[in-house]
Amino acid sequence: MTKHSYANKQWLSGYLFLSPALLFYALFLVFPFCFSLFLSFTEWGGFDLATIRWVGLANYRQLFSAESAFLHPILTNTFTFAFGTVAISFVCSLAVAYMIARLRWEGLWRTLYFLPSVTTVVAIGNIWLYMYSPTNGLVNKALELLGLSKQSFLHDPDLALGSIIVVGGWLGIGSSMLILTAGLKAIPEDYYEAAELEGAGLWKTFVFITFPLLRPSVMFVLITSFIGGLQSFTLTMVMTGTGGPGNATNVAGLEMYNQAFSFGNWGIASAMAFILFACIFIMTMIQMALFRRGGVESYE
Amino acid sequence: MRRRKTPWVSYLIIAAGSVMMIFPFLDMIFSSFKGADEYNRMSYSLLPDSFRWDNYRQAIESLQLGLLFRNSLARTVAVTALVLITSSMAAYALAKLRFRGRGFVFQFIVSTMMIPGFLFFIPNFYLVTHFPLVGGNDLLGNNGYGGLATSMLSLILPFSVSAFGIFLMRQFMMTINDAYIEAARIDGASEFRIFFTLILPMALPALATLAIFEFIGQWNEFIWALIIYSVNPELATLPVGVQMLKDHLDPSLTQPLLMAGLVMTTMPVLIVFIFLQKYYVRGMMNSGLK
Repeated sequence: MTKHSYANKQWLSGYLFLSPALLFYALFLVFPFCFSLFLSFTEWGGFDLATIRWVGLANYRQLFSAESAFLHPILTNTFTFAFGTVAISFVCSLAVAYMIARLRWEGLWRTLYFLPSVTTVVAIGNIWLYMYSPTNGLVNKALELLGLSKQSFLHDPDLALGSIIVVGGWLGIGSSMLILTAGLKAIPEDYYEAAELEGAGLWKTFVFITFPLLRPSVMFVLITSFIGGLQSFTLTMVMTGTGGPGNATNVAGLEMYNQAFSFGNWGIASAMAFILFACIFIMTMIQMALFRRGGVESYE
Repeated sequence: MRRRKTPWVSYLIIAAGSVMMIFPFLDMIFSSFKGADEYNRMSYSLLPDSFRWDNYRQAIESLQLGLLFRNSLARTVAVTALVLITSSMAAYALAKLRFRGRGFVFQFIVSTMMIPGFLFFIPNFYLVTHFPLVGGNDLLGNNGYGGLATSMLSLILPFSVSAFGIFLMRQFMMTINDAYIEAARIDGASEFRIFFTLILPMALPALATLAIFEFIGQWNEFIWALIIYSVNPELATLPVGVQMLKDHLDPSLTQPLLMAGLVMTTMPVLIVFIFLQKYYVRGMMNSGLK
């Protein structure tokens, strides 16, 4: 068998093996992406294609106009949510990953911290809704014990977004912890032994050895969870429905969902989706630039 | 010269933290036994007055839990099976076969991971409800009574291929020695035979990781199931059905049923995770990806 025909044979089987995936991507990814981009330049109530009306950039102009609620508060809420949840989950997961690496029953601790990550957000949101209850919730009970006054967490416009961010951060600890643990395990034991010989304590070892060597994992966790935070809206939907009070907890994904599936404004909803996609795309590009060596190319 | 004294402070912090991680779950479980009147009291209590198992019987009836459970299970199992097949097939081609365009296809698949899922809710909703020649639709997808949303396929097909799955399987298959495959080729085995009898058995650990990942993800998926539910309530899955309980019954009565429903929704996946987490955790840590 010549080399040439051998390669040809693999060409055929290669694409046969890829055919289910490629068919799927054509149908459920390439077509929807283009259709959605097209919709973002139209006005459409859904269902009947004959009623689509081309409006050019009008949707985008409307979303970026001064009186639009989309830039503020919705998009600012989205970034606040992403930033807040990442800050909470990152600090906690770093501390947890660093500490459990030197404890017994490491697997048990890891399971406990990971439980929220495998639980449906519908359950998470409703449990916390109950814990935040103004009358008989656990959180108010705790405040009471500390001598503080009761709060109406999700009805107070000043507290609502922060209250959801706490839940989102709590929820995100598990998966960040796993990635950081993998990073920690990759640090050679020799460094720690040397530090110990020099008499460095837990804190100094962390600052001068662990953290610098962990930087790739840290960057990866920070950026992927920030991107995840920008997209997230299920938790907000379960906890406040439409992002209330007012728009206090509304985020871009939720607004997009409601514009499309509650109000039938498919054009404007698609435009929102692409604006948020642009934000995420920029973040991804930053990630790629920071990981030129650790990014996709290094897997080739 | 192993570690010195026991790190008591770390134990204390980690234990306190894990109480904060699991307390909400305990609150959910205990609350599921409370009576409706206990939710109207002015102060919090962890334990219910008495354990009302009747809440569970009521939740099962008023939620049609049998239907929800069947839908959730059928969808989860079908998607998991499809993803395992499509991912490992594509991964075999990308890892072990040489052909023109391979690098491009791989780059394309990896880059689709950057596109957020919400971008597809709107167009895929149109696509699914206007799918040609199903659910009464004509060749152009019009005039029907729901298209694909008349069947379970609407919950399954949009998730049947996973870029993450292909990536994970490819990473694993790269580590399989080519010599096995070359030997089989020289013996005259076809690529399909090599794939099914040689590669798949070797890839079992990676398949296990992917299976658990997909199982948990699909069992918990909410938004798409909610969208499909809006056109066909018969297809409600557990998370959707339980959440919709809030809309349909008197809120002061639904709290105990809601909590009981959540416990029943959460438990299957927690049990799967606790028993099989070895594969899940190892797979996630090796891939370095969520």
